Amino acid sequence: MGDRIIVGISGGVDSSVTALLLQRQGYDVECVFMKNWEGDEDEFCTAEEDYKDALTVCDHLGLSLRSVSFSQEYWDTVFKYFIDEYKRGRTPNPDVLCNREVKFKAFMDYSLELGAEKIATGHYSIIDESNSGFKLLKGLDPGKDQSYFLYLLDQDALSKSMFPIGGIEKIDVRKLAEESGLVNHAKKDSTGVCFIGEQKFFKEFLKKYIPTNPGLIETTDGKECGKHDGLMYYTMGQRKGLGIGGGYGKQEAPWFVAEKDLKRNVLIVAQGHDHSSLYHKQLVADQVHWINGSVPENLSEISAKIRYRQADQICEITDLSVNRCTVRFDKPQFAITPGQSIVFYHGNECLGGAVIENRSFH
Amino acid sequence: MPYFDHSATTPIHPKVLKKMMDVAQQHFGNPSSVHASGRKSKAIIEKARRTIAVAILASPSEIIFTGGGTEANNMVLWTLIQSEKKHIVTSSIEHPAILTVLEKLEPMGISCTVLPVNDQGRVDPKILEKSIQSNTGLISIMMANNEVGTIQPIMELIGIAQKHDIPFHSDTVQTLGKIPLSVQNIEADFMSFSAHKLYGPKGVGFLYKKRGRSLNPLIIGGGQEGKHRAGTENISGISGMGEAVRLASENLSKRMSHLEALETVFITHLNRECHNAVINGCPNHHLSGVISVSFPGYKSDILLAKLDRLGMEVSNGSACGSGSIKPSHVLEAMGISDSQNISTLRFSFGRDNTEKEVIELVKALGQFANG
Repeated sequence: MGDRIIVGISGGVDSSVTALLLQRQGYDVECVFMKNWEGDEDEFCTAEEDYKDALTVCDHLGLSLRSVSFSQEYWDTVFKYFIDEYKRGRTPNPDVLCNREVKFKAFMDYSLELGAEKIATGHYSIIDESNSGFKLLKGLDPGKDQSYFLYLLDQDALSKSMFPIGGIEKIDVRKLAEESGLVNHAKKDSTGVCFIGEQKFFKEFLKKYIPTNPGLIETTDGKECGKHDGLMYYTMGQRKGLGIGGGYGKQEAPWFVAEKDLKRNVLIVAQGHDHSSLYHKQLVADQVHWINGSVPENLSEISAKIRYRQADQICEITDLSVNRCTVRFDKPQFAITPGQSIVFYHGNECLGGAVIENRSFH
Repeated sequence: MPYFDHSATTPIHPKVLKKMMDVAQQHFGNPSSVHASGRKSKAIIEKARRTIAVAILASPSEIIFTGGGTEANNMVLWTLIQSEKKHIVTSSIEHPAILTVLEKLEPMGISCTVLPVNDQGRVDPKILEKSIQSNTGLISIMMANNEVGTIQPIMELIGIAQKHDIPFHSDTVQTLGKIPLSVQNIEADFMSFSAHKLYGPKGVGFLYKKRGRSLNPLIIGGGQEGKHRAGTENISGISGMGEAVRLASENLSKRMSHLEALETVFITHLNRECHNAVINGCPNHHLSGVISVSFPGYKSDILLAKLDRLGMEVSNGSACGSGSIKPSHVLEAMGISDSQNISTLRFSFGRDNTEKEVIELVKALGQFANG
């Protein structure tokens, strides 16, 4: 039997097919279901059902499955940060941190302790081993590429990881699952933050952890036009849920969140998707991380994504220190959001990224 | 596949299985029906009831069939809601089938005193006596613990309950078939039993209720089980349980000496292979074949997974808690540190285990946790 690989299995189709493919390739495959959340939030969380799906799949494939709790690690390294960021009025990306701290640290350590050669997950990305080290490449399926969420990985993590479905299109992953009789072949992709589940629960969830602080909504010219329930509930560029009738203002165009004035607890909105206050050409980001461990040699001809699934945007790093960078885009960017990550690419290669601190018009 | 987790559940005894299959194939009648098919089914159930009553020296009318030990516990505890005396005394090492129920009952006006245990997992009868209040309506203390195998000074505890005229319940699911147990010796008012812990089927158990003690039903409908438990009876399950109890009672001394022998082999080899291993529990008052061992410096979930790969099945804590290593509340109550707690495995042997298997097990442990 081949090397022992421990697959992090979620109950979804991607990680299930990951296990299936490795098993077919002759590896000694074992599966682990990570339980990263505990408490009375069960109403929001689908972990129980997901575990049952994972168990059914593993039983079908004849693979062992263990459920392991990393909820303490998740709470300490991901959730506390998540809440702190919201308190600062920012929109954090917990999945990026979960990958670095839980999946590619706690779970990886656990798996290595159990004698695994490597771990595997169902991420749509490709690890390319070259003379200069391990490169993280975009997944083959352009609609599914998940390198954005993996930019915080380092050489050590990449050297001990496998992404077997990175070179396959989602439609073929589902086909493989169906052909192999996996019960979850048509299961809906998960969306939203993993411990909250569907977006509609978001407000209710956040309320449990952060006191609400309602305030006023003003237009970019300082006119009061409504009330908000708390700045944390809104994110840059948000359109829905502002409670400003289309009739307010001169035209019928919808309103968008343009800025949060934390000092005055005022939400600032702009009318129309093309409103200039929604666009910025430059941003400053910190917590800079490079996948290869140091500043890449060729930083010209790079592009970046400031949110998951965004098309690559041509940009230039105009200022760079160990921890901070200033990035200037070719074209103004809609709703640059503090707390989200900017991830850098050179062609198909994910170079690393940073957390957006603030933005400016010029 | 060597299975060392008999306190979680046991494989079904071939004779039990045969009995259940015979019943399931041949007798489908509803025991409440008056025709021949119904009468036959009723007779099967009553025969099982008699067998069980004989085994624990009770009267058949004192045996109430349930859907398992947890249900039997629940019946007794929920009865407090209608009792005038709403205080209960229990111990800190009870199964969740007691402690979680009491948490649920608390907002409904049931107050609860949870007695501490000593470092061997035993309740001090003097402390029980001190905890009794004027409104104490029930004392519920398990006879033997599922995680460490410690047996309580049950007769003394019952003596105190009797002195104060308080009903005494004992969760005895771990005990039947492992030590002598009859209501002549153990004068508890209620005892909960489960078939699958003694080579019987899952999903069936019984409650012993001393004549004259009151009990409210949890499941209401038809008048089955003397109006104590509605629902058409699980005929094959009940007959299988009857057979399992009969076998346990007939073979008790043989089973006990087998378990003692396995335990001796285990401990002798363990001392040789794993020098730092610590055995938890009470050496003098102990269920043979249920052994809790801490391997300081090793995490129990890793050890468990490595043994599992070899097909050796053991558990950490109680089976219901598996999936993560939450420190066991039982070990915690015994004053065991968190670091030792999460390095603890439970081995529980059974009638199919051999000395050779046990030696193999300890060899594997020596390989994974020697240091």
